[in-house]
Amino acid sequence: MKPLKIGISGVRGIVGETFTPELVVGFAQAFGTYLDSGRILVCRDTRPSGPMVRSAVLAGLIAAGCEVIDLGICPTPSMQLAVKWLGAQGGVSITGGHNPAPWNALKFARSDGLYLNTVQAEELLDIYHQGEFAKADWERIQTKIESEDAISHHLEVLKGAFDTAAIRSRHFTVAVDCCNGACSLLSPRWLAELGCVVLAINDDPSAPFPHSPEPKPETMAQLRAVVKAGHADIGFAHDADGERLGIVGETGEPYSEELTLALAAEMRLSENSGTVVTNISTSRAIDRIAAGHGASVVRTPVGQAYISEAMVEHQAVIGGEGNGGVAVPEIQPTHDSAATLGLILESLAKSGRQVSDLIRRLPQYTMLKHYVPVEPNLIHSLLQGLRDEVEREGAAEYDLSDGIKISWPDGWVHVRASNTESMIRIIAEAENASRTRDLLDWARDRLKK
Amino acid sequence: MRAIPTLKISISGVRGVIGDSLTPTLLTRFAQAFGTYVGSGTIVIGRDTRTSGEMVRQAVVAGLLSSGCRVIDLDVCPVPTVQLMVRHRRAQGGIAITASHNPAEWNALKFVGSDGLFLGAGQARELLDIYHQGEYTKVAGAEMRTFEPLTGALDVHITTILGTLGPLPPGKRKLRVALDACNGAGSVVAPRLLTALGAEVIPINTTPNGIFPRPAEPVAENLSDLCQTVKRQGADLGFAQDMDADRLAVVSDQGEPIGEDYTLVLATQYVLGKERGPVVANLSTTHALEGVAQAFGCPLFRSKIGEANVTERMQREGAVIGGEGNGGVIYPRINFARDSLVGMALILHLLAESGRSISEMLAELPRYYMVKEKLECPSHKIGEVLKLIRREYAEHQIDLRDGVKVALADGWFHVRGSNTEPIIRVVAEAETAERAKQISATVFEQVRAILSQ
Repeated sequence: MKPLKIGISGVRGIVGETFTPELVVGFAQAFGTYLDSGRILVCRDTRPSGPMVRSAVLAGLIAAGCEVIDLGICPTPSMQLAVKWLGAQGGVSITGGHNPAPWNALKFARSDGLYLNTVQAEELLDIYHQGEFAKADWERIQTKIESEDAISHHLEVLKGAFDTAAIRSRHFTVAVDCCNGACSLLSPRWLAELGCVVLAINDDPSAPFPHSPEPKPETMAQLRAVVKAGHADIGFAHDADGERLGIVGETGEPYSEELTLALAAEMRLSENSGTVVTNISTSRAIDRIAAGHGASVVRTPVGQAYISEAMVEHQAVIGGEGNGGVAVPEIQPTHDSAATLGLILESLAKSGRQVSDLIRRLPQYTMLKHYVPVEPNLIHSLLQGLRDEVEREGAAEYDLSDGIKISWPDGWVHVRASNTESMIRIIAEAENASRTRDLLDWARDRLKK
Repeated sequence: MRAIPTLKISISGVRGVIGDSLTPTLLTRFAQAFGTYVGSGTIVIGRDTRTSGEMVRQAVVAGLLSSGCRVIDLDVCPVPTVQLMVRHRRAQGGIAITASHNPAEWNALKFVGSDGLFLGAGQARELLDIYHQGEYTKVAGAEMRTFEPLTGALDVHITTILGTLGPLPPGKRKLRVALDACNGAGSVVAPRLLTALGAEVIPINTTPNGIFPRPAEPVAENLSDLCQTVKRQGADLGFAQDMDADRLAVVSDQGEPIGEDYTLVLATQYVLGKERGPVVANLSTTHALEGVAQAFGCPLFRSKIGEANVTERMQREGAVIGGEGNGGVIYPRINFARDSLVGMALILHLLAESGRSISEMLAELPRYYMVKEKLECPSHKIGEVLKLIRREYAEHQIDLRDGVKVALADGWFHVRGSNTEPIIRVVAEAETAERAKQISATVFEQVRAILSQ
């Protein structure tokens, strides 16, 4: 089975196999039709298939009568922020996010810059499948594509939202690994604005990804070396399109991507207590942190669209997911690694503490993530089988809002279909490693039955 | 009667109406088919100024990159520039985005082979087979090649023309040329070429915005603005181009359109004066050309209609000049393509070197009058029309290479189905305008009678 995933996170596949120019043109036409042929922004990350996909998107949008503004290579959150700035009806980000280089994808933003929610994504899919698209005639069709600098606008917004004077006064040394992705054009500039000594690696957007663009400890070896050699105060790792952020402490220790949200939440709630939004798969550490500040936690299904809408609804002060994606509402209620980085440096500057010190004080849990590749046509029946079994047994506390999450007083396990790949993800968390292992094995054995 | 379709997929390429049949999916598939056909090589693309050009270009680029091609983009430029640059860059092929003389709502892809020539009938059929089979080469991201905008192609084109023909000889005064580029691709290069040759340019309709100031075909009835400009400004002549600058028509110093057939006649007069050799023209081109060729003792060969057919025959015969009666001049020393820029340079050289005016030159050439008519006809009825015309004129000398061409005692006519539109074309020529009209009217009525049966 060749991988192609059409779902609420957009359309995603491997270029040269399923992710063809016809598919992309069709989705762009559908999106243009869905947004009533309005103004639409287009950006891309640095994958080598980016120019092909960009041309296909532009052709589809223009044919559907849209007025396209091309932002070039630019982080997805810069595009999302520019949607309102430029009065656009929506935006398309061409990025495989954390997926390896052979992948690419389209992610769709609406007029408030946030991703389409489930209902909207389903409407878009219906238009795509119906295949009846808006068509501009020769008198209405866009004749020339304009471009805008969304990255500079993003920087202006960032500068206005943080205490840059406090950060500048500390003269931090910051190592950053841009993975040769879209953040190569944003993150080093932002750090320089903040008066940091910038030790940037992999910041060439024309070069291939040096490692998997998923900021986790396994991909941070180079960054760790730079932090140590350069005596940096902190190291940051980006994904390909500027949503997720990984952290390396001043000691050179890489932290789990789960800790990015935990650290950001602790920092934010110490200054300004309020609601935290995260998904049901994210660490219980968030609940403990919130409780410590008298704050509440709202849990959503997995996926940024859910986080964003819940943040708006509950006027959250911070939100995010366990994959390193954090949303700072002063900038926008959607994952934005440049905003996360600003929040962390501001807090370090004000507290005068070191990262390793702050991380040590966070509640400690052990989390294990596992995935089982499954043929796309079997995923849902496997999950249904597990759901039936859990309901029949009726012993533990369970949540069926996104896959199956089963909770015990000392831990939980979450089994769900990936939004982006043909696999079932199993995530288990408990207070120690052996209990976590047990929970993971328990779920995996049941799936295999 | 069935609705006349707006999409035409043929050996001339793919042509359709924007906002209707010519969708981005269709275009991107055709580009993939072409990329597959040329084996994922380097492809030169260019477009005329039509409003849909940007959309079509993006769809084409996506398809070419996906099939592993490297794309060199000339942006807005004449079709012959694409053909010239395919050879100049040793590319494996080219795609010209233009519906040439079709109205503004149309656009099209025309496919160029590695020799800079449009695909011949056999090659075009192979491409269509790949398109219809739908199995295209698809490369992974890491194997994808680059998209390269190329500025300077127009300079290469101008330099090549000047390098071959040289600037105009210094005369008593500069030739004054009125230019109507139809706001098409010629707008971006023709004024520069004329200046570089040493002429003075009086431009009209040279804003490359794709808004047609007149119907695109440079035929007499569409050139009234240019004729007035020539008269008012006292220009030595006027040049009119179509949207993609492959065809050229001339307006005399009297402000009269001399007929687009005579573009090739004048160009041939100049070329044969420098170098004797075979001439090739299509079956519908004026017989005045026979007179010119005979005067120089050179043979004239006739080909089927269509640039690909003319160039194929020119290569076979080793022709020194060739072209079509629609204003298409092909001068192989510069470009194996219908090239209005080359046509301009040849005709200006003829004037400058002879020291005579267009009307004086015309007075010495055999003068024929031509009438061109067309009428709508569904493709499936064309064969029947041709069969009956052939039966009707069975006692005359008939040429069946492309439709039916009939030689009469005092003229000729030619009836054929268009390659690009669902129409039948009727061309008639005689020594007087009256007789030409008479022949044309008779045949036109016969065709209409057959169609209404």
